[in-house]
Amino acid sequence: MIVAQQKPLEEINRMIDPYEKILIVGCGTCMTVCDIGGEREVALLSQALTLLQTTKGTKKHSFYISTVKRQCDPEFVELLKEKLSNTDAVLSLGCGIGVQAIAEKFSDLPVLPGVNTLFIGMTKEQGVWDERCAACGECHLENTGGICPITRCTKGILNGPCAGTKNGKCEANPNMDCAWIQIYNRLERLQQLDKIRQYYEPRNYLPLQRPKRFINNALYSAGETHG
Amino acid sequence: MSTSLNAESLVQVHQSSDRSFMPPCQVACPLHMEIREYVDLVAQGRIMEALKVIRNGNPFPAICANVCTHPCEEACRRGQVDSPIAIRALKKFAVEYGGDRMIQTETCTKYSEKVAIVGSGPAGLACAYYLRKTGYPVTVFELHTEIGGMLRVGIPRYRLPQYVLDIEGERLTRMGVEIRTNVRVVSLDLLFELGYKAIFVTVGAHQSLKMEIEGEESPGVIDGATFLREVNLGFRPYLGKKVGVVGGGNVAVDAARTAVRLGSEKVNILYRRSRNEMPADSVEIDMALEEGININFLVQPVKITRQNGKLIVTCIKMELGEADSSGRRQASPIKGSEFDEEYDSLITAIGQIPSLPSDFKIGTGRGSTIQVDPVTLTTNRPGVFAGGDAVTGPATVTEALSAGRLAAKRIVDFLQHKYPEREKDKEAITTPLLEETIVNIKKLARIDPPVLPAKDRMDFIQEELVYDWKSAINEARRCLRCGMGAEITSQDECASCLTCLRTCPYKIPQVNPEGIVEIPVDQCLACGLCVTECPARIISLRKPADYLDNVEEVLKNTRVINNNPLVIGFGCQYGIYGTGTLEKLWESKGRIQIIPVLCVAKIETEDILRSFIAGVAGVFIAGCGEYCAREKTAAIILKRTERVKNILKQSGINPVRLRTIFAGKDVDPAKELDKFIDDISRLLLTQAISREVKT
Repeated sequence: MIVAQQKPLEEINRMIDPYEKILIVGCGTCMTVCDIGGEREVALLSQALTLLQTTKGTKKHSFYISTVKRQCDPEFVELLKEKLSNTDAVLSLGCGIGVQAIAEKFSDLPVLPGVNTLFIGMTKEQGVWDERCAACGECHLENTGGICPITRCTKGILNGPCAGTKNGKCEANPNMDCAWIQIYNRLERLQQLDKIRQYYEPRNYLPLQRPKRFINNALYSAGETHG
Repeated sequence: MSTSLNAESLVQVHQSSDRSFMPPCQVACPLHMEIREYVDLVAQGRIMEALKVIRNGNPFPAICANVCTHPCEEACRRGQVDSPIAIRALKKFAVEYGGDRMIQTETCTKYSEKVAIVGSGPAGLACAYYLRKTGYPVTVFELHTEIGGMLRVGIPRYRLPQYVLDIEGERLTRMGVEIRTNVRVVSLDLLFELGYKAIFVTVGAHQSLKMEIEGEESPGVIDGATFLREVNLGFRPYLGKKVGVVGGGNVAVDAARTAVRLGSEKVNILYRRSRNEMPADSVEIDMALEEGININFLVQPVKITRQNGKLIVTCIKMELGEADSSGRRQASPIKGSEFDEEYDSLITAIGQIPSLPSDFKIGTGRGSTIQVDPVTLTTNRPGVFAGGDAVTGPATVTEALSAGRLAAKRIVDFLQHKYPEREKDKEAITTPLLEETIVNIKKLARIDPPVLPAKDRMDFIQEELVYDWKSAINEARRCLRCGMGAEITSQDECASCLTCLRTCPYKIPQVNPEGIVEIPVDQCLACGLCVTECPARIISLRKPADYLDNVEEVLKNTRVINNNPLVIGFGCQYGIYGTGTLEKLWESKGRIQIIPVLCVAKIETEDILRSFIAGVAGVFIAGCGEYCAREKTAAIILKRTERVKNILKQSGINPVRLRTIFAGKDVDPAKELDKFIDDISRLLLTQAISREVKT
């Protein structure tokens, strides 16, 4: 799941300043799960912004709210069309993808990001999320006991541990477990310690061109044009 | 306080959005009274509304408040946690404090068909009440000088004061019910000849069963029903010093306790089984023991002889065998164990059957009870209906009231030539609480109303007193509100974020094997925490609280008068106001507008913000703190207020203007509130001065 954080109120207030009618759009998927941009937060943000402009005496915006099921799919975004006909700007509480999806769909409208997208993560406990995947495009979890050194090692090295490991902790943060010690322990438990001997060549970043695009041929209908 | 809501509109709101299940107490009640609802209203101190709910389901709540055998309390799932809610005593509180005796039901005659009711026991009176309410002319015929049937002649006055029945009689008369006492109906044909179109026979079961032993007809032996009737109608029979009572039911215990009150010094109950099998109400048994009554278990009289003005009662010892089909262990005599005991009088109370005049010409069955069709309640004679003890054999007051109410419906069906409709019941909660749920529920001791000490009970004055305000509310707050809990209203919009599962103090929500989040209705205890936490806002209570929708309305009115600094207070209706913890509030210095909430945990962060947008000087949230009957409430509201304070700071509002007050041993909420008002006044003054200085 994608984890994000709401931007400070002042920053949002600065962004929306030039516009009058603002539609705050939530996303019913990841942003709802991390309680940053679901139905509840959208309503709350509109109240918080109303309060802010009331006290600052800049009372000129009107806020409208809506939440779509998933902002990263144009079909869902399309459903906003009617609401947007009378709007000056969209404030999206979706992740960075959501913001762009709306912007692509409605090219005449300014779309503003209400959140800072942080990482792909998992829930540690209620209200706590940890990064677990960097979307590097080359998954080696098979050989690392299901523990990702790219995200969980400060240096993100593939041939670890480095010399900075101390009593199982990382030199960069004594409270953080050394990912490579964890990998070692886990491989030992799995009786696959030989896998730690695997050496990874320095990665060739040349073929990794941005923006990435993935085509799933099973779904892709050839012949249709994709811009 | 401008929050008094129109009760009628509330009822509408409830009905339209009520998706709740029937709680176990309501299932167990023969009248299916909305117990959860009125207990909840008592818990909020809304006694008049509680009484209204009670009166909706019960024609004579004052009677049940005194003598109901409360099967609801046996079914109450709080009993699994500590002990059941004292439902009957709470009803009595609502009846007394809500002013039940002042209520008059309006009626008018809409139909011309007259209905005769033979017998004025609870079934007869209930039937009369509902028929009259529907608009039929009703006449009740009663053999004795006073109405009430078994309530009048069978239940001792120390349990049910006579004035309770007199009030109900008066109320029925004012409703236009014709009550004819001292009339023995000998023939139903006569009633039909007099123009009655339907007859409800409810003559009760007043005929005591015989022990069928030698010497039973001796002077000094009296049956329980006759004995209690004599005493209740004002006689004071002389029983002598030593009295024996045969039997183990409520009549036996009532007779024994009555004998004590008539001055008998030694009263022995002779019962052939043991305490476990005794059918009498266990509270009554305890009270009898407190009053010095002795119970001889596993004993049965076999012969009575009269010698020198005394009764020699020959008894035999009994032993218990296997349980029979009804689950009760059978008693059988031990050969050769006979022994003699000397008594001045002996009261036999081993059961009662109905006794019908033979001229009624209606079919009877086992135990001389009247046979009726279970759906239509008709006897073998057209137009003749029957109910109450006369049909069921000796049963409870509530069962009789229920029979009377049903009979009224069926008689209406009969008179209007309608097919009897079967009422659709709500789905019911039938499962017990799970062990995993119980461990997370806060234990709270049951509070019983005070009872006169045994030494002061020796007259026929009522022994049970009424709760004081605070005790009643605290007792009612223990209710677990079964069946009205949270529901995910749209699985489609559910992001499966598991916030509900992680927030719930009782660990009720679960992921089912298909990976769908569910909140089992039979376990949820309606605390409402998940409702205000759900990021997608798709959880709601099956029976939502009525106040919360009102926030906007209150704020709208607030804006109009906000030239005068105003403080909004969200206060828990259950504790902080219900129990009067904040009663000094009205003497407070500031102009305060209260928004009552049903637990502060149900306050939305948005509503706090909304108050500040409306321009209030301050907002305080007053919760029950350590007296709260639920879990996690203070922690969750603190989290929300922290969030709001952060937003206030960013908006340039001093966060001092938002305060939480939680009641506790060392915290006097009234003082805290005064302090808050002081802080706000000081703040506003400083701001005014600095504005002045700038200009």
